[in-house]
Amino acid sequence: MEKNLAQFILENIFLFLPIVILGIVCTVVLMFISKKENRTEVENLESDFKTIFRIRFNIYFLVYLFIWIVILIIGLFSDFIIPTMIGGIIATIPLALLILVDYKTKKLKVR
Amino acid sequence: MFFIEINQNFGEQTKFLAAFIALIAITWVFLVYYSYKRHGTKKTIVYFLPIIIASLIIESVGVASGRYYYSGYIIYLSVFGGGVPLIIILAWSVNLFLFLNLGKHFISKIYQKRNYVQIFLISSVAGLFGVCLDLLEDPIAHYNNWWIWEETLKGIKFFEVPLLNFIGWFVLIFFMSIATLLIERSRYSENRKILLSISSLSITGVAIFVVHGLIGKIFEFVGIS
Repeated sequence: MEKNLAQFILENIFLFLPIVILGIVCTVVLMFISKKENRTEVENLESDFKTIFRIRFNIYFLVYLFIWIVILIIGLFSDFIIPTMIGGIIATIPLALLILVDYKTKKLKVR
Repeated sequence: MFFIEINQNFGEQTKFLAAFIALIAITWVFLVYYSYKRHGTKKTIVYFLPIIIASLIIESVGVASGRYYYSGYIIYLSVFGGGVPLIIILAWSVNLFLFLNLGKHFISKIYQKRNYVQIFLISSVAGLFGVCLDLLEDPIAHYNNWWIWEETLKGIKFFEVPLLNFIGWFVLIFFMSIATLLIERSRYSENRKILLSISSLSITGVAIFVVHGLIGKIFEFVGIS
């Protein structure tokens, strides 16, 4: 009979417990027996953009779009039309939100 | 305890598996190369190695627990008795890196302060974006037998995919994003960050299993699982 992940781990607790304890001990040792550096890194998110046909695209947006298109094509070619369309519409939410937030912030900058 | 298995019946019982593998392989190579060029070797290891280890353990446990299985892939890895295709583990590293950066991009536009609230918001958005893509991917994967959910599983399903799977996606991406961001923004040396990203998996793993287990229990209690 199938179990959920937590049930499986609880049944095999003696297998997982030593690994978890070792990991926690190592983390604590690494955190407290080391010097912290005084530099703070500032992320430059602007360099994640590429210009294609005079339009600036975020690299990760393009990768998401690529995955979305390929999976959508596979779904349609699999004759799995309705779930693919429903899933496809839901999966456009991140794309729409990213476009919207870019548009809104650009508009604010112009003002 | 750990073994590698080579399957000679590539694509058995599946449809369009080669296309799915090609998609993951292309995306993975591109993102690893991009991360290497943009952030360097050490940060790339921090972004990709912990999720590879975490997903190997979680997926292997998932298969061993009998909820789902993978057929038709070439290379399988196993740590706790369940064989997981190598490409699935790489796909998880693509998921984390992609959704973490999409979350950063999205939140940086609406909340600029670099604090714990921002880390929480970025991780939440990363998890939600991940679930959105999975709602497209998982039903197609199940239909084409890229991974097969046991039909005896009860509870609410989205085109034969259990609701708890999507919760699992959110929980995994959310906690791994928090861990990655906390380590990335800490003031430790780059070498220390690599070690911390691997050792802290035990803490992240406990958090994932406790939260996922609790949600599963709540679902059982309410009667939707």
